[in-house]
Amino acid sequence: MKYAFVLLAACSAPAHPAAAVPIPDIARATDELAAPDAFAPIADRATRSRALFGEAARVFTSPRCVNCHPADDSPRQGDRHALHDPPIVRGPANHGIPPLECATCHQDANLPLARVPGAPNWSLAPSTMPWLDRTPSQICVQLKDPARNGGKSLAQIHDHVAHDPLVAWGWAPGKDRKPAPGSAAQLAALVQAWIDTGAECP
Amino acid sequence: MILGRRAFLASVGAATTGLALGLYREAEAGRTAPVPVATARMNDFIQIGTDGQVTIVCHRSEMGQGIRSSLPVLIADELGADHTKIKVVQGDGDPKYGDQNTDGSTSIRNFFDLMRTIGAGAREMLIASAAAEWHVPAARLVAHDDAVHDPKTKKSLSFAQLVLGAAGLPPPRSPKLRPLAELAHLGTDLPLRDGPAYVQGTAKYAADIIVPGMLVAVIARPPANLGKVGTLDATRARAMPGVRAVVTLPVPVAPLASQPLGGVAVIADHTWAALRGRAALDLQWDAGPNGTYDSTAYTQALLAAVRAPGEVIRKVGDVDAALASAATRVEAEYVVPHLVHAPMEPMAALARVDKDRCEVWACTQDPQDAREAVAAALKIPKENVTIHVTFLGGGFGRKSIPDFCVEAALLAREVKAPVRVQWTREDEIQHAYYHTHSAQTLAAGLDAAGNVVAWRQRAAYPSIGATFKDGVTHPSGGELGQGLTDLPLAIPNVRFETGAAPQHVRIGWMRSVNNVQQAFAVQSFIDELAHATRRDMRDMLLRVLGPARKVDERELGVDKVSNYGAKLADHPIDVARYHRVIERVTELAQWDKQRAAGRALGLAVHRSFLSYIGVVASAVKTPTGWAIDEAWVVGDAGIVVNAERVRSQLEGAVIFAMSSALHGQITMKAGAVEQRNFHDYRLVRMPAAPRAIHVELIKSDAKPGGIGEPGVPPVAPAIANAAFALTGVRLRTFPMQPI
Amino acid sequence: MSVKLVVNGAPHDVDADPDMPLLWVLRDLLKLTGTKYGCGEALCGACTVHLDGHAVRACVTPLRRAAGKAVTTIEGLAPDGDHPLQKAWVELGVPQCGFCQAGQIMSAAVLLAANPTPTDADIDRAMAGNLCRCGTYVRIRAAIKLAAKP
Repeated sequence: MKYAFVLLAACSAPAHPAAAVPIPDIARATDELAAPDAFAPIADRATRSRALFGEAARVFTSPRCVNCHPADDSPRQGDRHALHDPPIVRGPANHGIPPLECATCHQDANLPLARVPGAPNWSLAPSTMPWLDRTPSQICVQLKDPARNGGKSLAQIHDHVAHDPLVAWGWAPGKDRKPAPGSAAQLAALVQAWIDTGAECP
Repeated sequence: MILGRRAFLASVGAATTGLALGLYREAEAGRTAPVPVATARMNDFIQIGTDGQVTIVCHRSEMGQGIRSSLPVLIADELGADHTKIKVVQGDGDPKYGDQNTDGSTSIRNFFDLMRTIGAGAREMLIASAAAEWHVPAARLVAHDDAVHDPKTKKSLSFAQLVLGAAGLPPPRSPKLRPLAELAHLGTDLPLRDGPAYVQGTAKYAADIIVPGMLVAVIARPPANLGKVGTLDATRARAMPGVRAVVTLPVPVAPLASQPLGGVAVIADHTWAALRGRAALDLQWDAGPNGTYDSTAYTQALLAAVRAPGEVIRKVGDVDAALASAATRVEAEYVVPHLVHAPMEPMAALARVDKDRCEVWACTQDPQDAREAVAAALKIPKENVTIHVTFLGGGFGRKSIPDFCVEAALLAREVKAPVRVQWTREDEIQHAYYHTHSAQTLAAGLDAAGNVVAWRQRAAYPSIGATFKDGVTHPSGGELGQGLTDLPLAIPNVRFETGAAPQHVRIGWMRSVNNVQQAFAVQSFIDELAHATRRDMRDMLLRVLGPARKVDERELGVDKVSNYGAKLADHPIDVARYHRVIERVTELAQWDKQRAAGRALGLAVHRSFLSYIGVVASAVKTPTGWAIDEAWVVGDAGIVVNAERVRSQLEGAVIFAMSSALHGQITMKAGAVEQRNFHDYRLVRMPAAPRAIHVELIKSDAKPGGIGEPGVPPVAPAIANAAFALTGVRLRTFPMQPI
Repeated sequence: MSVKLVVNGAPHDVDADPDMPLLWVLRDLLKLTGTKYGCGEALCGACTVHLDGHAVRACVTPLRRAAGKAVTTIEGLAPDGDHPLQKAWVELGVPQCGFCQAGQIMSAAVLLAANPTPTDADIDRAMAGNLCRCGTYVRIRAAIKLAAKP
């Protein structure tokens, strides 16, 4: 009941004012994600689904994720989403332009000494998938839309979240970067529970 | 008597090929680290082989200013050699060359006459040799195109044919210089001698020197000056593959001067092993006496110092009375933080110690100082130390201090193998000799007609002198002479004061030094006065500087003006030359027309290192703020040698100064520098560089002034003034565009 | 661990830590010193080389990434150092200290390979990762355009 209390208390908090439904704010004070079980007390399936997405969205709106999900053509850096320095452009395939491609600097893994972050296929998300400055509600609608999500089914989205090493980087970003909340497994469980409850958008 | 090259080499040896002359002449002392007056022998600079190859020594460090494309051509012209065929070799650090501290924009201005004399002396000996051969008077012979010619007989003898005869002649005591008009390449655009080496990757910088058996060291230095190792566990570091040794360096004592900072060196087979070893050191520092230094708090202390009366350093009339009775009073405060050089090449030095001898290859601006520092650190005679000067990947003043050479020498002796000390970018940014941190207050009084009747300026900043001597709290005369005590002001009541500013970090020379903050404050403030009285900046500037005249110490209200080490008689403070660059740069930028058309232009002018530079900058709005899209620069540096490299220095100075003005800021917390690399010490990148930088030089027959530095000081105020024209916001501090 | 790679056309078998940045492999092991160390963080571009034709920052590129690939450094850009960019750089007197210029040229070469007639804006975007402290950017732009001329 502790989580439920937090959930209710957070419902009135204007954390995401543009969202149609206030977003649950479970455990916001910690870096942990709530498990799907924590949402069991929400009787209504659709409400529960929305709440599950809201919790998952704490990852989707993390700087580690949104910085490479801009609507414009420049990646961002840091917790304040500063424009990438050096200035980088998206390029036709979302991985920069010659000779300034993402892989010009970013490797397939973080490095022993240098700060430059790395993971396989380091690139920008397509401009159809902007998360930066977007509400969880907007992200959710976009995520479910095959026209904008690269033609992915919900199962494929789950698979991407659960297994893509670029996504996994968000929890092991290296150096002094703050990881995304929770873990890849916790996020995957939340997304699965969200799908299982009808994949409702907040 | 002319031997074939092969025979000559066989009998004498290649090392002695050439003119052996004995012309002695005193070299001029440098500006900063006074080198004892030394002798420069002609044959130390010029060698001519029996194959006719003319080899000229460049004794000044090449760090981008193009000195190797300039001074040797001057010597060749004076000698009568074809400059396109000469070989240029880089001189080792040796007092026989005279001053070698490549600092203070002195390479041309202090060596113009001396290098010509050296060329002329060799020419006279070759001519004398030909005169003896032909039995004709030397006076009617001329030298050009690598040969001596007799205009009367139309006969010629090549330098190759004359060299051995010349070598046996007595040297001329006072060679006669050619008239300037005879120096065919003076003031022209000369080819970039090392261009091909630069673009093919064959130019050797310090870290490119390889000797057998060498190791590479990186050093963990104490974060705060005079800090030392507290606890050290090097077990993990030593276990790193490739790590050979971990060495704790001696703890320096105040004043730091050019001593290494101490710390712990990790020495390995290659750079990567050394870097990983250093990262694996378990090391706790004892912060030491500067461990509480906080540059933000220090800013407040500086401001407090300049908000109160200080030591008077320049005084004319009665400023207090004039300020009290002024119709309008304008006041402003300017703050410039610590800045860092950030040359693209971080420091590196390779040292090899063999018993009581040491050989060093280093990107040093001052090889003689490096030689003395290494000798002192190893406690060996300086004659036993050889300093080879490599190309410098930028210097900007940092590499005039040989701390990194000493580190290499100490470590090479310790591990009994050649050691290259490689500074990382983080090392360079965190262990610099920083540009000083300053605060200034300015107050001006204007009468009802808008004439400036009073000017009071107070400055406080730690002095470079404190790096070398304990207890220095105020700037030196030389530092104040960089834009304060030498500033022409046609104002009847003037007072300049300095406040106390004790030093907590190493302060050093950075390109144009105190001119940076002093020109920034003065030229911004004159723009403020213009706006306060609804005048055009150009008109206000001309009014404040006053009529064309040469300004002496009496008018300035100072006992002595340092004048960059030059006599006022040779290099007067000439307001007419200020006027010319102001007039020409505003003409070039179409100041009136473009401003009327709505362009946001800023103007500034400054004299430093004996040269006069005017800058107009144009500011434009961008999606994220504002940028500088175009700049115009007009320089009067007196006689120039290589106009092309002069223009390139002035172009580059715009970008260099933009980086400082827009992004430059080094901060210290708990004595440690907070910035680490180019992500938090940003430099201007190409997209932010102006579309065009137009540079023009005033034709002048005045004695040569400096060029490496004078382009920098007027840029920041021109930018601030342009930004004000664009946005209406007055920018009185760096960085103008913080991260 | 041994890694096979081809550098400027010559095959090499490098026995080193697979995490060792290509920069130190080139400079310290293969003695190719034309590629420069400027920051170690992929912030300055002084170490730019080509990996199978793509520009990479050698200071952060682990040796293992170069396995089986062709590396081109400034020494191997053109057999006689006469790449149009190298010629244009000299003709326009681009270098001051010269330290960054190998990296600048290696970046520009990839730009021209992809875009033979770049505009100023194309050049700015492509060259934004290469710092020059001496401030030669205006001449670099001009030299790239000169080299791009048919």
